[in-house]
Formats: sequence, structure tokens, C-alpha cells
Amino acid sequence: MDYCLNTISDEEKEILQEIMNIAFGKAAADLAEVINIFVVLSVPYIEMLMAHDLPVYIKSQVSEYDRVSIVEQNFWGEFKGSAFLVFQASAGRELISLFGDGSGDFGSESIDALEKETLMEVGNILIGACVGKLSELLGDAVTYSPPRVVTENTPNDAIPVNIFESGSSAIVLKTVFCFNERNVHGFLFLVTSHDSILWLKKSLAAFMEQYE
Amino acid sequence: MTLNELTQIFDTVNFGLVVLDRDIKIQYWNRWMAMHSGIPSDQIIGEALFDFFPHLSTPSFNKNCKAVLSFGNFAFFSQKLHSFLFPFKPDSSFGYRFELMQQSCTMGPLRSDDNSISGLFLIVQDVTELATYEQKLIEMNTKDALTGIYNRRFLESRLSDECERHRRHSRYLSLIMIDIDFFKKVNDTYGHQCGDMVLQAVASKAVSVIRKTDFIARYGGEEFCCLLPETSAENAEVVAENIRMSIEEMTNCFENHSIKVTISLGISCFVAEDSPETLLKKADDALYQAKHSGRNRFVRLSPT
Amino acid sequence: MIKKILLIDDSPISRRIMKSCIPKDRDYELYEAGDGLAGFEAYKEIRPDVTFMDLTMPVMDGAEATEKIKEFHPEAVVIVCTADIQIKSITNVLGLGALMVIKKPPSKETIEDALSKAEAHIG
Repeated sequence: MDYCLNTISDEEKEILQEIMNIAFGKAAADLAEVINIFVVLSVPYIEMLMAHDLPVYIKSQVSEYDRVSIVEQNFWGEFKGSAFLVFQASAGRELISLFGDGSGDFGSESIDALEKETLMEVGNILIGACVGKLSELLGDAVTYSPPRVVTENTPNDAIPVNIFESGSSAIVLKTVFCFNERNVHGFLFLVTSHDSILWLKKSLAAFMEQYE
Repeated sequence: MTLNELTQIFDTVNFGLVVLDRDIKIQYWNRWMAMHSGIPSDQIIGEALFDFFPHLSTPSFNKNCKAVLSFGNFAFFSQKLHSFLFPFKPDSSFGYRFELMQQSCTMGPLRSDDNSISGLFLIVQDVTELATYEQKLIEMNTKDALTGIYNRRFLESRLSDECERHRRHSRYLSLIMIDIDFFKKVNDTYGHQCGDMVLQAVASKAVSVIRKTDFIARYGGEEFCCLLPETSAENAEVVAENIRMSIEEMTNCFENHSIKVTISLGISCFVAEDSPETLLKKADDALYQAKHSGRNRFVRLSPT
Repeated sequence: MIKKILLIDDSPISRRIMKSCIPKDRDYELYEAGDGLAGFEAYKEIRPDVTFMDLTMPVMDGAEATEKIKEFHPEAVVIVCTADIQIKSITNVLGLGALMVIKKPPSKETIEDALSKAEAHIG
């Protein structure tokens, strides 16, 4: 492997894996306790990739979906990157009944707008919970950009081609989530940019130091 | 920088800034908020936000507050879906179409030194001007300039959405193509101005007759197209007959002439193998038959 | 008296964290297994006094392994240590006979507390 210096070792990968486990476990428990959202998060999976291979990777992961809705949100702090929440396009409707306000008053707004808003709200909270808990364990606090929703006919059109500078590496954290009550599931990808890797290595070491 | 200096900045910026504690009590209320709400900061600080703005205490707003307080995420209240959080008068009423200021708001966490979340902040931006431009642009893009009803472009995009939806949920969807009978004669006899007036009259009459869930667009010169979601063939015939009758009964006055027109209508109903194009084509074929069997009537071709 | 402790967790890092939290001055004998099935086999062979069990594991998950161990040996002391702290999962494993559930990451204090509870339970 001719990865350059800014790659993470197998041991660091395992530490990160464990931290993500803990973070996502907390996120799921808090989502249930604080706002009554019951979500199951699978064991997260970590992959080191070159940034330009990212779109192909994400597409291959979600190939079972014919049409997708993606919620995209950037976060930055020391821990910096993008989060992509990928649903099957039909999920929006299911989620409305799960998260709807009950007020139902969206005036002239169409059902599409309501779907989009629901996806945005669910995405914002789910991404916020996962990224928030993860960065908290790593000793950081991050800021977020407003979420953006893309709905497309095929995953091909929806996945951004140039997220990061090509030639740089990226760490992809993947988890499958599922809202049990409605059988809605999807993928969450957290892609941390190259700039965060040095900081990440340091915080992973600091995390383990507590247990030496 | 000192707190005093920061406060001076917060009081001069051109957006609202509110700080809330974990119990959603107001800790800070900048001058912009005081100015637009008419509530001075010393009267509101320490008070519960919901006491002053009870309409904000919705499940969704509360959920967002809780999420921000426990996860430290940001919540965004877009103008598009919320219009506004705080009911304020627009800065200037000139040229705006909104009775209340349109706002785009962001909520985020405030952390104390140990990184725990001690409260939250709310930023309120006035986007009335932007929303006005957007509304005008949308209108220009979707409406027909002469009649004020939807244009063909909007109809076509809506039609393909509806077809997709009805294919997925296998529901009814009907379409009516409408053409004014002998419209060329009106133009030739009374002039184009009169023709335009007739088009406007037919459009607004048709709009007043159709149901709230239907919508009608100007499809071509004197052609209109009406889309009826969740409507069976039988019910589409009822709508078609209502439109036909209301136009037949209508008398238009132009200068000293009273002008009466009739319309012909073709109905088509969505079946699984239909595309937007075939649905339009079927309605067009039915309309052609209506014309050839004497006009001032509707025709629905039974499925072959 | 607790003498043998078995740690069942698929993550070597997680086992390392666990081990660092277990008091070193008491001459506990520590054993490890990397999944539920291997853990169950190890249990039968070693007969540990206390078993720390992760929940989400490949081959056989912690809930099933707990069930198997309690079937095999109803007196077994199983302490679940997991990141999955939703009420539903916790009630589930307690129902299967786990003595208690501790949240990941463990600390010296929570492990000490769990061990003294286990000690009291064994009597």
C-alpha cells in the first residue's frame, strides 16, 4: 500500500470503530429518550479511500435503491467533513407520518415540499446526533451548514462528484440505520476530509491514554 | 474584545439575535428584536419565550430545542416552510406582497467552558425582499401572462409528477382538454382585443367552476387543459359538464356587443401503461371527436 | 470470591479498555473471547466467576450468548457491557438473566462497582 503519511493504522481504525460504536449507541438512546425517535444504528464500518473514488464507493453501497433522496450536510470544527444520509426516495412519505407535527397546515405547499422538509428535519437531527456524540467523545464541538435535500431518479445523478480535492484521502464512516416502526432504512456516510486526519490521530491517541 | 464592545455590535447588526437558557427563558434580546417586536429588552429578559410568543410552542419547535440542547446540532427554520418564527411587520410595506416579515432562522447551541450545552441562540434574518423576488420569478415562470392561470410549462411538469404518483399508488387521474369553439371568428369579427377578453373570461370562469384539487392551465392559443387528480372517469365527466355549461351560460360584453362562446372538451383517464404524452394524446383525440360530432360537448373515449 | 473473569467482545480495543479498568492488584485471571459463540465455548471450559459480555458481535450476538450461558449454568454471573443503551435492549438482556448492564466506555469506577455487586451476588 503506498498510502502517504496521512493514513490511519489498523489499530487507529479499531479505536475509531469502538468510539463510533459508543457514540452511535448514545445518539440512538438520546434520540429515543429526548425526542421519541426510535432508530437502530448498525455497527459502523470504516473505510479509507481516495477522495475521487468516493462517489463510486457511495453509489456501489446504495445500488439496491432505484431512486434516492439524499440529505447532505457539512460540519466543521477540528473534526470536519460532510455527512450524507441516503434514503430510498419513497422514504419521505413514510417519515412524514413518523415525524409529522400533526398540524398539517402547510398552506399552499405541496406534498413534495412537505416530504423535503421532513427529510431535512430527520436528516438534521440524525446527523446532528451522530456527529455530535462522535465529536464530543473526541473532545471537539462542531458547527453545521444547513442541510440540503437532493432527490433524483438514480443514485448516479444525486451523488456529488467532487466533494473534496481529488488526490487527497478521506475516511468514510458508514452505518445503516432503520426506523423500526415504519421499516424505513437508509445509509449514513460521514466523510472526513483530509485536513482532519492529523487531528483525528491525535484525539484517538488521547482517548486511549485514559485507559493506559 | 470586551462584552460591552460585543454588545454594541450585537445591537447594530441587521438581524435578530436571541439567547435562550435551557428552560427556554430569554437571556438576551438584541436591539433589532426589540425594534421589530416593540418589546424592549429589559421587559423580556428572564421571561419565558412562550409567554410572549405562545404560537412558537409547537411539537416541532420544542423537538428542535431539545435536539439542539442535547446534541448540539443546528436547527434551520426556512422561510419556505415556516414563513417566519416571529410575527413582525415588514421593514417597508412598499412593493412587498407579504403582510408579515418573512424570516429565515437558525438555532444553535451555546456551550460553557467545559463544553456542556448551557443554552441556545436564535438568529432571525429578514428575507422578505428575497421571498418577494422569488415569488415574482415563480409566477413569471408558471403563470400565463394574459389569463393569469398556469402556463403550459407548469402543466407539463405537474403532469409528469402526477402520472408518476398515480402509477406508484394506482389511483385515478383524469385530464380534460378544452378548446373554444370558433374562436377564430371572434378574433376576426371583433378584433384581437376582444379575443383576449374572451380568453380571460373563459379562463376565470373555468377556474371558478373546477374543484380546489383540480388545476387548469392555458395550453395553447385558445386551448386549455385541466388536470384532475384522484378523479374517476365518471367524476371527470361531471366536472367537464360543469365547465361546459358555465361557459355556455356566460355572456361577454365587449364595447356594445354581447358575445357568447361555447367550448368542446375531450376527457382521458390514466391507465397504468400511460405516459404524460399518451394521456394528452388521448384527450386530444377525444377533443377532436367532440369537435366533429357538433361541438359544445364533451367526449370521453372508452378504453380500447 | 471472584477469581476468573471472562471478557467477551469482538473489538480488541474494547477488551483492552475493559482490562485497563479491572483492578490489577487482585490477581484476577483474565480470559478473552472474540464473539458470542467462542465466548460460550470458553465459558464451558473455564467456568469463570464473572463474564463481561458485549451485545453487538458477529457469529453469535451477546443476547444469545447470555441466554446460552444461563441455560448451561443458571448461576452464571453475566454483566453486559454495551454501547447499545436503548431501554429495549437493556430490558431484553436483563430478562435473559444478565445481572446488570453497564454503559460503554467503562471506567474504573463502574467496573469496581459491577465487581462488588457480582461479589455480593455470589455471596
